[in-house]
Amino acid sequence: MSNLEIWLVIIGLTLITILMRSSFLMLGDYFPLPERVQHGLRYAPVCALIALVTPELFLTQGTFDLSIANPKLVAGLAAAVITLTMRSMIAAMAIGMLVFTFLRA
Amino acid sequence: MKALFGSRPELARVRREGFTRGIRAVAPLLIGTGIWGLVTGVAMVKVGLSTAQAIGMTLLVFSGTVQLASLPLIAANAPLWVVMLTAMVVNLRFVIFSAGLHSFFRRFSLGRRWLLSYFMVDTSFAMFLSRFADAPRDERGTTEQVWFFLGMSAGTWFVWQTMSIVGIVLAAEVPARWGLEFTAILALIAMTLPMISGKPALIGAVTSGVIAVVAAGLPLKLGLLVAVVAGIAAAMSAEIMLERHAANTGGTS
Repeated sequence: MSNLEIWLVIIGLTLITILMRSSFLMLGDYFPLPERVQHGLRYAPVCALIALVTPELFLTQGTFDLSIANPKLVAGLAAAVITLTMRSMIAAMAIGMLVFTFLRA
Repeated sequence: MKALFGSRPELARVRREGFTRGIRAVAPLLIGTGIWGLVTGVAMVKVGLSTAQAIGMTLLVFSGTVQLASLPLIAANAPLWVVMLTAMVVNLRFVIFSAGLHSFFRRFSLGRRWLLSYFMVDTSFAMFLSRFADAPRDERGTTEQVWFFLGMSAGTWFVWQTMSIVGIVLAAEVPARWGLEFTAILALIAMTLPMISGKPALIGAVTSGVIAVVAAGLPLKLGLLVAVVAGIAAAMSAEIMLERHAANTGGTS
């Protein structure tokens, strides 16, 4: 892409992102959501975050990889166990990263 | 401090407390945010953006997923409309987030809301709503809540931008595959699991997680959106079924 095209992309991405981030903040006054949907939105955080995580853990270069030879999966499980037992984010990240680095070596 | 929190002592105290709580709440996540920002900074330069373009992109767009999704397309010389369409699909979850935050920010002018929405990122949204989702309608949008959001946003924005710019400047020195970006995923795991409380949330999380893997091959990264919508729907259905079940067993005894 030329310099000008890249700047156009950047401006386009900026506009699209801000418009979509602000979409319901702006229009919500005119389109009130049903109570059920309002209530259901409380599940959006967990669902969105989990959906960002699982493809990283279970896919290796786009293919399903459920084996102990998959460093990301094993490290992710280690971090999950640490999170649930020790309730420490720092410990989960440190141990997860140790496992990941060790298994990749 | 007056410039930030205003000169009315009582109001300034509430604002400052909310802001500080927001920063404290988001602090453990900032390691992941920083490394993710660094990786994104490096990636922008490696794809061929100039220093000015990369800094412009990180300051203006301020969204790791959108930036990272667009980079391969820029590298492949994809037509402008393909890049925009991809960005729109990746961003669709922001529409859902936006709906979740509306009742908290509705008292502000459209200009203010627009400004607040610039700071809407996955981690801040998730942390905010999981903390305040139980607030009844008339207790939404308090000064404390809004400044909590601002505190989280300020911390996230500052760390993300600083580390992105470090990545942009040092791009040549950072080896392509350190695997550092994985720390961001670990941070998300550590953040998300404690949020899963109750059966509907668990069912939603499992559904969303499975669908995200199965649908990962969909074009334009549509899999993420499909997973989120399916997860929310599953959690809501589970909730309705559990309510009915409780009503039935309660009624027959």
